[in-house]
Amino acid sequence: MRVSYRWLGDFVDLDGLPPQEAANLLTMSGSKVESLLVIDLSAIVVGKVLEQRPHPSSRDPLWIHQVDLGAETRQIVAGAPNATPGTLVPVALPGTVVPSGKQVRDAKIAGEEGRGMMCSAAELLLGEDHSGIMLLAEGKPGQSLGELFPLDAVLDVEVTPNRPDCLGHMGIGRELAAVSGRPMKRDFMPPFIEGEDPPAVDLIKIAIEEPDLCTRFVGAPVTGLKVGPSPAWVQVRLRLAGVRPINNVVDATAYGMLEYGKPTHAFDLRRLRGGELRVRRARDGESLLCLDGQTRRLSPAMLVVADGAGPVAIGGTIGGEESAVQADTTDVLIESAGWNGVNIRGTSRALGLRTEASARHEKGLAPELALAGARRVTALVREWAGGTVHREWIDLYPRPQEPIRVHVTPEKIDALLGAHVPLTESRAILDRLGFQTRVQDDGDWDVMVPVFRLDVAIPEDVVEEVGRIYGVDRIPPTLPGRRHERWTPAPTTRPLETIRQVLAGAGFAEAVTPGLVSSALLEKLGLAERMRRLLNPMSEELDAMRTSLLPSLLQVARLNQNRGRPQVRLFEVARVYLARSQDPTGLADEPLALAALAHTGGAPAAGREGFLLLKAVTDRLAHALSLPLPAYERASDALFHPGRTAAVLLDGVRAGVLGELHPSLGADFDLDGRVVALQLDLETLLGAAKPRQVRPLPRFPAVQRDLAVVLPEGQPTAAVQAAIRDVAGSLLELVRAFDEYRSPELGEGVKSLAFALTFRSPERTLTDSEVDQLMDQTRRRLETEFKAKSR
Amino acid sequence: MTEFENTVAHGLERIAKATSDDDLERLRIEYLGRNSSISQTLSGLAAEPKEKRAEIGKAGNEAKQKIGAALEARAGELAATRMGKLAELEAIDVTFPAPPLDRGHIHVLNQVRSEVETILERLGYQVEEGPEIETDWYCFEALNLPKGHASRDLQETFFLAEDESIVLRTHTSSVQIRAMERLRTPPIFVIAPGRVYRRDNLDATHLPYFMQVEGLAVDEGLTVGDLKGTLLYLVQSLFGPERRVRMRPTYFPYTEPSFEFDTLCGRCGGAGCRSCGNQGWLETGGCGMVHPNVLRNGGLDPDQYTGFAWGFGIERMTLLKYDVEDLRLFYENDLRFNEQF
Repeated sequence: MRVSYRWLGDFVDLDGLPPQEAANLLTMSGSKVESLLVIDLSAIVVGKVLEQRPHPSSRDPLWIHQVDLGAETRQIVAGAPNATPGTLVPVALPGTVVPSGKQVRDAKIAGEEGRGMMCSAAELLLGEDHSGIMLLAEGKPGQSLGELFPLDAVLDVEVTPNRPDCLGHMGIGRELAAVSGRPMKRDFMPPFIEGEDPPAVDLIKIAIEEPDLCTRFVGAPVTGLKVGPSPAWVQVRLRLAGVRPINNVVDATAYGMLEYGKPTHAFDLRRLRGGELRVRRARDGESLLCLDGQTRRLSPAMLVVADGAGPVAIGGTIGGEESAVQADTTDVLIESAGWNGVNIRGTSRALGLRTEASARHEKGLAPELALAGARRVTALVREWAGGTVHREWIDLYPRPQEPIRVHVTPEKIDALLGAHVPLTESRAILDRLGFQTRVQDDGDWDVMVPVFRLDVAIPEDVVEEVGRIYGVDRIPPTLPGRRHERWTPAPTTRPLETIRQVLAGAGFAEAVTPGLVSSALLEKLGLAERMRRLLNPMSEELDAMRTSLLPSLLQVARLNQNRGRPQVRLFEVARVYLARSQDPTGLADEPLALAALAHTGGAPAAGREGFLLLKAVTDRLAHALSLPLPAYERASDALFHPGRTAAVLLDGVRAGVLGELHPSLGADFDLDGRVVALQLDLETLLGAAKPRQVRPLPRFPAVQRDLAVVLPEGQPTAAVQAAIRDVAGSLLELVRAFDEYRSPELGEGVKSLAFALTFRSPERTLTDSEVDQLMDQTRRRLETEFKAKSR
Repeated sequence: MTEFENTVAHGLERIAKATSDDDLERLRIEYLGRNSSISQTLSGLAAEPKEKRAEIGKAGNEAKQKIGAALEARAGELAATRMGKLAELEAIDVTFPAPPLDRGHIHVLNQVRSEVETILERLGYQVEEGPEIETDWYCFEALNLPKGHASRDLQETFFLAEDESIVLRTHTSSVQIRAMERLRTPPIFVIAPGRVYRRDNLDATHLPYFMQVEGLAVDEGLTVGDLKGTLLYLVQSLFGPERRVRMRPTYFPYTEPSFEFDTLCGRCGGAGCRSCGNQGWLETGGCGMVHPNVLRNGGLDPDQYTGFAWGFGIERMTLLKYDVEDLRLFYENDLRFNEQF
């Protein structure tokens, strides 16, 4: 809402309240001033053009003027031709900054001295016209323009949707009055207008067919008026508020709306067919040529105002072209009606049309406003266009607005705000806002809400009114003193932090990628089985919820590769979204997942190295989260390399998959080299956590032995290790494979595995011969079970 | 006897001249080793006449002790000299750059989220979670946003089901009712960080997906002052004690009274600059006292309890902490950006 500071002065005394201070008061009481533009024209002077001649040498059309500024005559160069001799023009002298922000300098323009600037209306923020120099209707050479156009300012106020009463200068003026402690100059309801014969009902018949959607209809005819331009000061005000002046009748409706926040409409009475208007639902197939020149198809969900022949306006939204006020109009009907906000919003959405009127009506204006608006606009029409106002206006009001009364316990104000507001101050605040407070016998308050406020209904609303005007700044900040009767710790997010720390410590960079992905991508990767699709996506790129983190990480790897950063290590911890089989359209499962990938070189060995890296990360995670030691088992997964993939098992439960990605997947994402990835289901992972067991330090020394065996390919290391553990029993503290080796010397189809074994007894120092014996038994077992030869 | 004395005299002289630990070790082997003349003499004692054995043995051991003591003393001297000369002997070029540590890092949004969690956990708040694919009830209806409400901007909501009953949550406020239902009896002090979605076109200042943190406190006698103090504590813990907080009244359907809270601009200190659009303050988040209808919908009696809630975007908080101009950078994951935090 664009608000003129000077216009506010019609409603509240602004004496000694500069625009900036008014803006601050409004912002801090709930009407946020987004921007403030001060229009101070005191430095601009009136000039009288004495002489105008074309510039002799410029290629662009330029004119050289001699301008009388009272005390002196100056030469001024301008590009517009309209400052002809004898005209009065606004002149900004060098050094001045005009309101639009331009700084005026002395300049030579194509060789001719220019010592000042003649301003357009736009440069002075007095209008939109920037094509020519503004011509003044009055003024003396040398006079300050500030005397003709006193200081004003445009405040762009953000009005919250609950406060449509502030979509007009009166509402903002009342806020300013309340917060600055100044009285309001005008009553909410304009005075009654004595009308003349014939009564309105003889000029037009009106009926409401939908009383739920049209809550009131006030119709005031004015006859014998003369359409013409509205007064200049009115046009200035309208322009400051962002409205283009049209004629005195239409401007009166706009002006009334900008004061009261209540849109009204003027019909050309003589262009209404059949002498009647009905507020009804539009019929299928009906359409209306609207004021903006567009023809709109209507539907029965929309309300129209129709005359005997068909729709003449879309209710509360826009008028029709054919019944509009024109230059030859003499008789008008001022319509001021109450509309159902939800219905107006639906109409507005269906038509893709949001007008000044619908933007206000969709918020649900109080029906009482309809009469106020009608009175104000009718008075303005009579003042600016003349004519006769008729008696006995039509006022259809099927369900009169009920007054709202709120029962308030005054202690509640202090209790909710956490500050002591003296009762006299609370009451004065409410009074300034238009509330009436009656103190009951028991001390409680019976608060009557003003008719233009439909947003106040409960005691907390009243507390808010007091608090925001009293000043939130005056409330002391405190921290709640907690009652502490019991403590139910929620599952914390600490394990997730631990996971992030482990991955970061292992050299992986955390990515945060959107949960929204492309359904086509998931489908292509075979990940769409439990995918949830959006009903109203904004693009095909973001039309489904992801079921896996991997595609996102692959995209990140590609982006970095394309920007000169190949072979990144990435991870993400986030939810994936899986449709539930029982209720596929209801809520979804949203398990937390971990994905990590290492983008490596292209050699097979690089892939194996990456694999072992992620395995090390998994083992480290298991340790950090106090999980059982993970087991890895050959597995297959469509996205993974058929020979280089393992399931991650915790206590025999599958918690995820680890392996090299299928080369074709890397190719899909244009990734060079190999990509190794880890995917873990964090619910399973964290569910396997066990209390950490701390072992005492050993008291006896360990005996280290290495064991190297050559055995046929295809024997998994884990099986060999299990056999070693089985033979060596409890004296074997640790067995770790540290080398896998193949060579022509060893022969075809065999590999060498080397293990480091640590033996220790908790009770005594082991002897060499004891350990030798265990090693011999181990070798024999490996020979029989795996055909392994010791090296 | 003179043989031992000669040996010792000779040995002490050479020990005094030794210049390194290696020299000393060689001398030790020469004079005290198994093949040294002293050792040889002592091991040949059996051949000596019985009456002489004790005497020779004693003298031999004394010689060994003397030499041993001299070796030790000289080793001490050499060590002391070395310590005194460390600067010239072992100096390195301290200006040579270190090779980078091979370490990953945590995404800045999670760094900030984690910081916010830690700050509020100190006040006794617990982290609470809720689904992102949410019912209309938890996301809107229960928060005093009935169907047709002016503030329920359908244009901004992603739907998953035809009847608009399942949505992608547009705010983490959807966790409020779930938290009240789970915890049941106040005091309830929870925060709910998480992802939210709105149908905004992707540009430098808008994302269709972002992260929020919701805070909710419900207890007997909570006030606007408590809300204000909590926000002050949070903002100043995050950004520093010079960053003041102001609350401006505004409108939200789920709080009454409602406020927006601003943080004093860190760059200009309130004077107004480009960074804050000449306002001196940076919009930070929304907050207010929980609307009685919301408490009721959460199963709590608004006559007994009051509550306050606040919410803000994690991206926004990160912008306030670091000067980032383009929100998209947070989700692009160009590591040259990510690694700066």
